[in-house]
Amino acid sequence: MSDQEKLLRRIRASQFAEWELHIFLDTHPNDCDAAKKLAEYQEKTAALVKEYEQQYGPLNETSGNTSRWAWITGPWPWELGEEDDG
Amino acid sequence: MWVYEKKLQYPIRIQTPNAALAKIICAQYGGPNGELGASLRYLSQRYTMPYPELKAILTDIATEELGHLEMVGTIVYQLTRNLTPQQIQEAGFDAYFVDHTSGIYPADANGMPFSAGAIAVAGDAITDLHEDLAAEQKARTVYDNILRYCDDPDVRDPIRFLRAREVVHYQRFGEALRLTTDKLDSKNFYAFNPEFDKK
Repeated sequence: MSDQEKLLRRIRASQFAEWELHIFLDTHPNDCDAAKKLAEYQEKTAALVKEYEQQYGPLNETSGNTSRWAWITGPWPWELGEEDDG
Repeated sequence: MWVYEKKLQYPIRIQTPNAALAKIICAQYGGPNGELGASLRYLSQRYTMPYPELKAILTDIATEELGHLEMVGTIVYQLTRNLTPQQIQEAGFDAYFVDHTSGIYPADANGMPFSAGAIAVAGDAITDLHEDLAAEQKARTVYDNILRYCDDPDVRDPIRFLRAREVVHYQRFGEALRLTTDKLDSKNFYAFNPEFDKK
């Protein structure tokens, strides 16, 4: 696994933790510890995304440093990077 | 509204195509216990749900199910790429291929197109939450059965992730049901329908 993939994996893991806390809070809206933990993970994700984008370029369409054309560039999430895009 | 995130919830990279396996994994794309039905069931039930917790959990789990639909579609796509017509026939995938080639179509493992007949919206919070709890277990059973036929770790890994999510959703829906009965008449949960009868 390359350094880029490793960093992307850490971003995914942090975002997944955010999502788990998010749906937990749907049914436990008064759980302050979970809300605090969610805020921690949001900060962690933001820092990791910043680190990633500085090294490897834009991650999201909404990133300030992307051009609107980067969005259409593959590979798309279901692809393996071997697709013929013509 | 929804905004697309250009990534999978869990990464999928399948090295070896396997159309026979794709044929059974289709079940979770367009079958009666699949991810398309799951997302439509929860998205449709939420409009008349009482209590903020229920509206939130149905919206959020439905949204995650759409991400799972994308994951299942990705697995089927990667399992059916670069195959010859002969390999497709040997794998028993030719009956699918004749109508869809390698396109991804929502049908069950027998080729029966997706039907909203597999989901229910009763407009009664207790009834619908029981439907949702059952739906999560039915999806978990299908993933368990897929795992019986699958020894490729590239496929087992994301299938096991999806299976685990069914268990987490079952847990959240169980909490939602408990929240609901806590707000109802403790002597008779069925005294009135909180989605219809104004108390």
